[in-house]
Amino acid sequence: MIYVNDLRKEFKKAVKEPGLKGSIKALFKPKNEIVTAVDGISFHVPKGEILGFIGPNGAGKSTVIKMLTGILTPTSGTCEINGYIPQKDRQKYVKEIGVVFGQRTQLWWDLALRETYLVLKEIYNVPDDEFKKRMAFLNEVLELDEFITSPVRTLSLGQRMRADIAASLLHNPKVLFLDEPTIGLDVVVKENIRNAIKKINAEEGTTVILTTHDLADIELLCNRIVMIDKGKKVFDGQISELKHEFGNMRELVFELSKADDLKKLNYLEDLSLNADDLQLENKNMTVSVRFNSNNVPVEKMLSYTLSKVHVKDINLKDADIEEIIRRLYRQEVSIDEV
Amino acid sequence: MRRMLRLHRIFVAQYMKNLMEYKVDFLTGAISFLLGQIVQIATIGIIFSQIPHLDGWSFEEILFIYGFSLIPKGIDHLLFDNLWSVGYFIVRKGDFDKYLTRPINSLFYVIAEKFCVDAFGELLMGLILIVYSVIMLELTITWYMIPLFIVAVLFATLIYTSLKIATAAIAFWTKSSGHITHMVYMTNDFSKYPTTIYNKVVQTIITYVIPFAFTAYYPASYFLGEGDPLFRIGGTVVAAIVLFVISVLIWNRGIKAYESAGS
Repeated sequence: MIYVNDLRKEFKKAVKEPGLKGSIKALFKPKNEIVTAVDGISFHVPKGEILGFIGPNGAGKSTVIKMLTGILTPTSGTCEINGYIPQKDRQKYVKEIGVVFGQRTQLWWDLALRETYLVLKEIYNVPDDEFKKRMAFLNEVLELDEFITSPVRTLSLGQRMRADIAASLLHNPKVLFLDEPTIGLDVVVKENIRNAIKKINAEEGTTVILTTHDLADIELLCNRIVMIDKGKKVFDGQISELKHEFGNMRELVFELSKADDLKKLNYLEDLSLNADDLQLENKNMTVSVRFNSNNVPVEKMLSYTLSKVHVKDINLKDADIEEIIRRLYRQEVSIDEV
Repeated sequence: MRRMLRLHRIFVAQYMKNLMEYKVDFLTGAISFLLGQIVQIATIGIIFSQIPHLDGWSFEEILFIYGFSLIPKGIDHLLFDNLWSVGYFIVRKGDFDKYLTRPINSLFYVIAEKFCVDAFGELLMGLILIVYSVIMLELTITWYMIPLFIVAVLFATLIYTSLKIATAAIAFWTKSSGHITHMVYMTNDFSKYPTTIYNKVVQTIITYVIPFAFTAYYPASYFLGEGDPLFRIGGTVVAAIVLFVISVLIWNRGIKAYESAGS
């Protein structure tokens, strides 16, 4: 369904010295440098999958999405979706996809929300009876009724996002691209939107590509994730694989009864560990130690800790996705390990 | 084409609803434009109260050319005004994304989205000046002049629009080109007066480089009984078609260079 092959995008960036002087200098002697935003990414998405596309800010996620949606033209490499090359058959291609950019609305700002759907109906040539059915379905899933007559500018962020997602689904697209669909939303609305995405995926077999910084989105929605960093793919697989791969990271959290006790703990020396294997954080007497259980067994950590300090409370946690991604973002794990 | 007209009607209807949301803004725009035009006409009036003839043209003839120039300018303003926003901010802010994710031609979509009602001021003023000067000059109107007038006006409009498309599209490479559009557009002020009053350099520029002379002086002077229609009307048609083809090519190339904006 979606084939991406060695996709690459370079931007020319003007290099300027700071200040007005630098700007004037750049006017007469422009200096450019090439920035590679996406550096040879390949992946394949089968029909009906929900793919989570993650990576730190500036990793190139949005640039990839923009190439897949036909907005940007790749410097090299190819993408093919539903048999179309987005940039070549743009008008035909975009008829079969839905796009939501969380930070930007596609609704008609000053008009009642209902009007937006009427305009989109014309743009996508949706027949009347189809439109009615579609609106009923979207209404049920996204609960638009309560604000469909309000002007878009008066909607809350959560309402606007629901409205935007509905707008992208009006023409029954085969692929839905969601760029940060839950950004800035409260827990309830997030939940609501996740359920809607799940339902649409299950009932209509819509393939969904979504980028997010919210790890709950990934855990609750995605069958598979592709992680990129600095324009390169660093992980591609099931979430369970990721957990398995990095599941050796555990976290020990305990509450000290005396603040001074912390000095007594010297994990690195006493247990002869590398700095890579262990991280310690201390917040108001609550200490959390993340450690690699391959290099130091859990019971050793526990007995060492308890022998040195008095604790009020102690808790041992599994590595969650958040932890793994945090490690990957910090480049504690290199690509070779994956 | 029928689909485009239908979509255009829908966009215009939406835009009008939009406008009704901001009535004061609309009224201020229309009034300020009318005032501007009255000042300009008054200026011409003052000049002619001192000098009865300008390079052999009478006050009424100048008014005819001036009035003619307002019609294509007004139509372009009415229908194609959103092109300004492309050069000023749509591309720079990355808002052009929206036009590329819809199954309609991006140029058509940008254009159809806005409908500038202020332009009725220009159109009204242009018509008044034309009717007034035709009556004062006692011009004889033959039947074939009507279709020729319509052709001249439509292609003169296309000259305006093409120049705006081409200069707006520069923004795809430079991020912002509003000032380039502005600079080119402003040369249309030369076309409100007989081209013969300018020196050779200006004449050449507004005839062959930025052919605004074909949006007013050349076609208008034909209707005033000067010269052959082949150059004066035919030139307008040719200039418009050539410019339009070039501008669409630039636009389409520009889309490939579009870089969006970070989000």
